[in-house]
Amino acid sequence: MKHARVLFNGSELDVTVEDSFAETGLLKSKVDGQLINEADVTWLSPIKEPGTIFALGLNYADHAAELAFEPPKEPLVFLKGANTLTGHKQNAYRPDNIEFQHYECELVAVIGKEGKNIAREDAMDYIAGYTVCNDFAIRDYLENYYRPNLRVKSRDSLCPIGPWLIDKDDVGDISNLKLTTHVNGELTQEGTTADIIFDVPFLVEYLSKIMTLKPGDMIATGTPKGLKDMQPGDTVVCEIEKVGALVTNIVSEQTFYGDKY
Amino acid sequence: MSNNPIVKGKLVCVALNDSEQFNAMQAEFAEAPYKGAPTQPVLYFKPHNTWSTDGSVVEWADGAESMVVGASLAVVVGKECCRVSETEALDYVEGYTLVHDFSLVEQNYYRPDIKGKCLDTSAPIGAEVVAVADPQALTVVTSVNGTVVNETPVAQLVRGVAELISTISYIMTLQAGDVIAVGFPGQRAPVAKGDKVNSVIAGVTELNNTLGE
Repeated sequence: MKHARVLFNGSELDVTVEDSFAETGLLKSKVDGQLINEADVTWLSPIKEPGTIFALGLNYADHAAELAFEPPKEPLVFLKGANTLTGHKQNAYRPDNIEFQHYECELVAVIGKEGKNIAREDAMDYIAGYTVCNDFAIRDYLENYYRPNLRVKSRDSLCPIGPWLIDKDDVGDISNLKLTTHVNGELTQEGTTADIIFDVPFLVEYLSKIMTLKPGDMIATGTPKGLKDMQPGDTVVCEIEKVGALVTNIVSEQTFYGDKY
Repeated sequence: MSNNPIVKGKLVCVALNDSEQFNAMQAEFAEAPYKGAPTQPVLYFKPHNTWSTDGSVVEWADGAESMVVGASLAVVVGKECCRVSETEALDYVEGYTLVHDFSLVEQNYYRPDIKGKCLDTSAPIGAEVVAVADPQALTVVTSVNGTVVNETPVAQLVRGVAELISTISYIMTLQAGDVIAVGFPGQRAPVAKGDKVNSVIAGVTELNNTLGE
């Protein structure tokens, strides 16, 4: 089943996504079973109470090579603030006066059960399901302190996520899922989760050895090669086979912040 | 989600903000992997599994030979704070408290220190939020088993409270209940199992924790 959260008539609402969604755009309220058309909602992050957001750097061998890095011997994990999250078909902004902002299409594993010191063979028991995120980076802001630093990776709106959370069992094997990114309809990134260096069971074991994982925590597993600069007006679609296609509109910093700009 | 009644959203900590440490490290900053001193505040998150309270026992990290502690003045954000100037920054503060950051020994600052900084219960946050007219005038004093190990005037920080709130608010919108630990002593104090750690800001608040066995 696919679980989403939307704004409908001014209120947050938990919904499921109907099997006919691709043709009908229908969502079903978890409160009263009412069918709602996608056209009448604003998509929110599908994770109601986001916990710790872990993200992986350089976790696809081809992407590491693209950035001229040796593949890491140990996972490069960084944390993101929940302020970065926004929903499907929402705006993300390009900061003023920068040279290079790129998307990163990533499979996200969402934790469903609390655990510490979880063994690799038990790891999948702790996963609720999956979603897609676009973990944007602004390369101009990189500094060699806690790199990738928060200024690069914890900006408002720069981690769109969704459209929905799909139950783990509905996806099945995640070890060879196709990932693509299209910018304004043009294919710009293509890869497969088969190229992941540290896979989800490894990461659950690794992280839970350090700290307790809790429901709502999420692990964004990194991105394959295929970087491209983004500009206001661009539409980016990050898609992962069997999981979903996440659409994001790039706007200027001024448009995004409006009166607060 | 929170194991602490004060912090509700995020706990942002500022590293390398003690000017004594910052100045002493200039030669190291020039070398690889840093290749230049930081031009921006060096920030890290203590995630929600780390949050705990005044009086709590802090878990000893599995298999760790040594741990260290630093204390910081902590800003508790009182209302949504987005892209504010330095001059208006303090208007967004509900008050101040203390944060202890227990961690493994800080070895380097090149990559995010998940292993060292994200230990369960390693970020106790004080029990009270106190209004203060001039946070720059405060001093944080930390003792381990009754012996003073660090004395850090906020005025000694490279970047002060208002500047940090402003800078961070341009990166991420801060919400009521977000907390910023503005700076720790460069020399973190070593601690052992069973140690009692006390930090005080005279006339404002204090924070007490014990290391687990």
